Amino acid sequence: MVSYEEMLADKAIFAYLHRMIGDEGIELIRRFPTDKEYSDEELAEVTEINLNSVRNTLYTLYEHRLARYRRIKNNETGWLTYLWQLELENMYDSVSKDLEIILEKLRRRCKYESENAFYNCTNCGLTFTFSDAMDSQFVCPHCNNQLIHFDNEPLAFALQRRIARIEENLGHV
Amino acid sequence: MTGTDEDAFRIIASSPDGVLQSELWKILGVDSRKCSRIVKKLLDSNRVERIEYRQEGIKTFRLIARKGPADPYCLLAGDELIPCIACEEDCVVEECNALLDWMYQLAISDAEESTSESGKTDE
Repeated sequence: MVSYEEMLADKAIFAYLHRMIGDEGIELIRRFPTDKEYSDEELAEVTEINLNSVRNTLYTLYEHRLARYRRIKNNETGWLTYLWQLELENMYDSVSKDLEIILEKLRRRCKYESENAFYNCTNCGLTFTFSDAMDSQFVCPHCNNQLIHFDNEPLAFALQRRIARIEENLGHV
Repeated sequence: MTGTDEDAFRIIASSPDGVLQSELWKILGVDSRKCSRIVKKLLDSNRVERIEYRQEGIKTFRLIARKGPADPYCLLAGDELIPCIACEEDCVVEECNALLDWMYQLAISDAEESTSESGKTDE
């Protein structure tokens, strides 16, 4: 089995996790003791990471099934304690679920890019569809600069290639 | 694998929930016996899995394509992660400028990749 440190050394997995949990979350994973389950307060103490960050990270990871907890009740006080463990083994399932959602988004964007012609304002950098550009008589409504046709074919082509790659990876061939 | 076997796999893989075997032979335009033979080949080659399913009391099977592990590099354009991960904005995918920036990066990294591949071929 791949260790968590090896997982974090992978550029794509690191970027994926970092977007979700930030610097402190990554540090929590690096310092997370694997010998037993820990409560959030114990984790904050052991890892020397702020308790709120520990909690936020754990909940985010839990939403992606990358952490799990076991709840125990103190019969005397009635207090509940949540004991946490990482489950980064589920990383590829999590990526797979996100890829399914992203595939749909990229398909929609690709359709939009393929079905429209675009015009650009070289002064303010804004892009308009053909119908919007026509409404403003091919003049930028913000700076009155002439709009110029923007060739989006390389973007649409790159999207098509990536969609095909994701479809193949997810088995939607 | 024959063309029909590949067609069958494509139909099964086109849906994350797979396809019922009782529907597959109708879609393929073959009889149910031929469909069973095609399914057996796909099962033997480990490309699909078969789960028992009851439809109006009649036993059939749900066929689901087996996937390899998801490739997290599909989320990257060069070194840049797609902005949709952990995005909390209201999603209007056609107007998302963050996605447009990522698409530029994607087009650039694709172009760099094909340049370096053609460079290798020239050597």
